[in-house]
Amino acid sequence: MNVKRRISPIADDGDEIRFCSTCAFSSACLSEGFSKNSLQDLHVLVEHIGPFREGDHIFREGDDFNAIAAVRGGTVKTYVVDTDGNEQVQGFFLPGEVIGLNAIHHSKYPCNAVALDTVMLCRFSFPKMALLATKMPGLQTQLFRLLSQDIGKAALLAGDYSADQRMAAFLVALSRRYAARGFSATRFHLTMSRTDIANYLRLAPETVSRVLRRFQTEGLVQVERREIELSQFKQLEQLARPVLRD
Amino acid sequence: MTQVKVFSIDGQYYLPMITPPPFDADLLRRYDRPGPRYTSYPTAPQFSGKFSEANLLDVIKRSNEDPIPRPLSIYVHVPFCASPCFYCGCNRIITRDEKRGEKYLEDLRKEVAMVAPLFESDREVMQLHFGGGTPNFLSPAQLNEFMQFLLQHFHFSASENRDISIEIDPRCVKPNDVAALAAMGFNRASLGVQDFDPEVQAAVNRIQSVEETLAVIHACRENGFKSVNVDLIYGLPKQTVTGFAKTLDTVIEARPDRIAVYSYAHMPQLFKPQRQLDETLLPTPETKLSLLQLAIEKLSQAGYCYIGMDHFALPEDELAIAQERGDLHRNFMGYTTHADSDLIGLGVSSISHIGESFSQNPRDLPSWEAAVEARHLPIWRGMNLSEDDVIRADLIQRWMCQGEIDIGKFEERHNIYFHEYFGEDLKKLQSLEEDGLVTVSPTHLKATSRGRLLLRIIAACFDAYLNPSATVLQFSKTI
Repeated sequence: MNVKRRISPIADDGDEIRFCSTCAFSSACLSEGFSKNSLQDLHVLVEHIGPFREGDHIFREGDDFNAIAAVRGGTVKTYVVDTDGNEQVQGFFLPGEVIGLNAIHHSKYPCNAVALDTVMLCRFSFPKMALLATKMPGLQTQLFRLLSQDIGKAALLAGDYSADQRMAAFLVALSRRYAARGFSATRFHLTMSRTDIANYLRLAPETVSRVLRRFQTEGLVQVERREIELSQFKQLEQLARPVLRD
Repeated sequence: MTQVKVFSIDGQYYLPMITPPPFDADLLRRYDRPGPRYTSYPTAPQFSGKFSEANLLDVIKRSNEDPIPRPLSIYVHVPFCASPCFYCGCNRIITRDEKRGEKYLEDLRKEVAMVAPLFESDREVMQLHFGGGTPNFLSPAQLNEFMQFLLQHFHFSASENRDISIEIDPRCVKPNDVAALAAMGFNRASLGVQDFDPEVQAAVNRIQSVEETLAVIHACRENGFKSVNVDLIYGLPKQTVTGFAKTLDTVIEARPDRIAVYSYAHMPQLFKPQRQLDETLLPTPETKLSLLQLAIEKLSQAGYCYIGMDHFALPEDELAIAQERGDLHRNFMGYTTHADSDLIGLGVSSISHIGESFSQNPRDLPSWEAAVEARHLPIWRGMNLSEDDVIRADLIQRWMCQGEIDIGKFEERHNIYFHEYFGEDLKKLQSLEEDGLVTVSPTHLKATSRGRLLLRIIAACFDAYLNPSATVLQFSKTI
């Protein structure tokens, strides 16, 4: 059977000399004049790991921290379980984004990370990465940038926002993140379940569906199963502005 | 020709297509070969016994986790009939014992109590259909009790679009039955007629008067049913052009909203009841084609639109309007205006279509009863669709409903290059294109008016499972 698919939102895998298309560090390294080849020479451990299957844990809260990892394909969810035993979703990580950053100041991972679909990772030994960063100011800047993004993301939803504003902000933020990696900004696959989205946005699952259904009736989005199309991006941005503050 | 009417829905205007498909006997004869009817893709013979209760629980859980979970459709199979019709290919049990109905309902309630809580409560039921067998083998009181049970366990939509339908055998309808059905929420009915010709009725063991049939149609109207469908069959023993013409005239005069004209598929090796039928009385292939031609001509002249696959509807009927809008769907219950919903099949032999899976309950009553009574989801067989299955299912469904594929939109939906993805399949289409059944352009795949009666032949080109040698036994002929 002749099965030819177009490229879907999975990173273009690199090889011995090329970085992966979504690599979180490639631009920093390249701007320092390091090719992937020369990084290998510095014995930096860059290791492709996976695939992780849906539901597989990448690390668990309390595991010893020794590496950060960039997502090459798939989506990773991070969460903690509160004292009442309830899951609290902390975030979703898309191709090109880095997990484990919030472990840097601990010696242990402070949350769980689980694959929501088939996940491929690029694992960086953190001690070696940190050492390299002292020699490469560009890499250090990139690390700081990633760290501040990670902190900013968590603060986003802390305010007193309406369900519509939260949902719009979620979609607009996803769109921007996909677009930044060269994927479509207006059409993507929601890899997270509605329970996870609801948990992350601090809404009831039925509310997530109700808001999306209304967005759909109003022509803002088009949802089919887990495929979503942002039909009126400007209006969604407008709605999301108080949350995203831009 | 009747006058062309224009209908407005949501401020948009639609012009239902009332041009009849042209009748080309030679062409139909050449393409009268066995093939699936595509109420599902993949078709039921592909379902596997390996599909388990755990698989079904998993797909249901997944279906609840869509950003907007699909609404629900429910099909309830009632397998009992008071007497055997010899043409029947359905799953049914002949009995006059009302207690069997009572016992069956008891088990159905067990199945509902198990299945309903698996679906998130904000998923509304938009469609409920009772099929058979003979659903009105059950008394209105029995149906009502079961309906109340369903209403307690599922969240039914309050929308006007909600369809609650039932297949009715007019021979079992007592006065006030239809009013009772309407009172419990039924708003659509489908009546079995087949043919009014007394000789045909005797040959198929189904004696049913015009009067009792029309009385039920009128009762449905008086009780505010949104639509009434009448089923006819061509190709039955003793059927003649003159006799069938009279039947068609009688039915047309009653003006049901929808008329289905099915081809009789004589497959006694598969359907036991058909062995009781005298094969020597079957019409010749020539007569059978004339009967189809007659039906198409008469119904078109009377203003009915051809929806596709044996189905006709008045231009103001939702099906005709949905087809014009490109909004028509097809599932195990036939054509429907309800966009993709998850279908829950209840009762013996019923098929469910949840998420990207099909699953079927046991076809024999004892197995179904045993599973339900042991509090297990009664699964006989099923399958999880692969990515390729999903793409082809969408293509075949669109094709069977609209007779047209917008290639650009289809590529967008599925993230494929159409001509590369379906390279091999499109080669199979070439001879059909040469016969003038379909046109293939870079942007569209379109059934010609000649091809509209042969949609399933064209759809079969895209069926990845079709092995020509295996189809002879499994599927009925096209015409």
